[in-house]
Amino acid sequence: MGQMVITGLICGALLGFVMQRGRFCLTGGFRDMYLTKDNRMFYALLIAIAIQSVGVYTLISLKVFEFNAGSLPIVAVIVGSFIFGIGIILAGGCATGTWYRAGEGLIGSWIALAGYMLVAAMMKSGVLLPLDMAIKETSIETNSIAETIGVNNWLIITIFVVAVAFIVYRELKKPRLKIPGLKPKKTGLAHILFEKRWNPFITATIIGVIATLAWPLSVATGRIGGLGITTPSANILQFLVTGEISFINWGVFLVLGIFLGSLFAAKMSGEFRFRIPDTKTAINSFYGGLMMGFGAGLAGGCSIGNGLVMTAMMTWQGWISLGFMILGTWTASYFVFVRPSKKAKQAAQVITA
Amino acid sequence: MKKILEVMGMVCPFPLVEAKEAIKDLHSGDELEVQFDCTQGTESIPRWAAEEGHEVTEYEQVGEAAWTITIKKK
Repeated sequence: MGQMVITGLICGALLGFVMQRGRFCLTGGFRDMYLTKDNRMFYALLIAIAIQSVGVYTLISLKVFEFNAGSLPIVAVIVGSFIFGIGIILAGGCATGTWYRAGEGLIGSWIALAGYMLVAAMMKSGVLLPLDMAIKETSIETNSIAETIGVNNWLIITIFVVAVAFIVYRELKKPRLKIPGLKPKKTGLAHILFEKRWNPFITATIIGVIATLAWPLSVATGRIGGLGITTPSANILQFLVTGEISFINWGVFLVLGIFLGSLFAAKMSGEFRFRIPDTKTAINSFYGGLMMGFGAGLAGGCSIGNGLVMTAMMTWQGWISLGFMILGTWTASYFVFVRPSKKAKQAAQVITA
Repeated sequence: MKKILEVMGMVCPFPLVEAKEAIKDLHSGDELEVQFDCTQGTESIPRWAAEEGHEVTEYEQVGEAAWTITIKKK
């Protein structure tokens, strides 16, 4: 129990710290691929996936633990990921983003988190469980990409790593844009940790390493898995209302750690303040949270569980989920950002005409 | 002329969306001061200004999670 508490909290706190300081936001990343044709955050995600993939499969090859990709509940993954994508735009952050923004003092994220935990718990053990199970019934036997194609996992990983290396090389070759920054008030390590703008590719590299470390740390406590947000978030609520200690596992301390790590990072860099959303944002956050809980529950993972971890494990679930999650964010972005601005433009034209 | 855009309390990416709208009404050489408190804006607003070729004349953290940035329209 002690080990679970300590390693879970430390791993989570590291992640929360790095994500807060590195502004690692997948919601924003997916959204900007569409809105501003900016793929940097998506490329950063690919780096984190590549590092974790090599790291975890090395550990598996060394027989540190075993991994079984299981089967693929294809309909649940597609529908759930799409709904999750819509939800994270409304909530203003994905599941992990919501945890770390809660640590920055954003009350809107607290509201989103409440909705997310509630529906996730309803899917895992509540009234929505029969629906969840019914949709998951349609499933394909093999979830491993390598197994379907009939090749070694390392071949897939190698091709992927080469592709990511090429993308990174091409990005780094581009001329650097000089972006105005804040005048530094701190020096040395304090400047780097609590002030400096972090390069997203470096942030992603650190996240890839943390995601790799998560596996052996979690496995050591009997939970076979890496980073995960949805089930642990549901587990917290399940434990609180049932008192069943069996709901407490490594993942629970991981997500609590994310909150604490982000809180620490934000406090130390003068970025913590309770911020109260207006009514519309608060309502959107809550709806977003509900959709996040439903979508991630159905898809068997959020942007971290599926988008970062199951992708690194080279499963169909991870990559199909990532694709539909991105489509969901684009769809919601159209209705939340693109259409209102088009309408405003049309209205302006009518007035001038 | 200097226009002040107060978007405190707005979540990302709305401060940036609002800033893009607000700068349209300005003439070249006019300044737009954006007061915001979303942490991601500290990255996305100056990046947008740089990409568009506007000049950032002032950029300051004014308090706990509160920033102000002044952008001179190109």
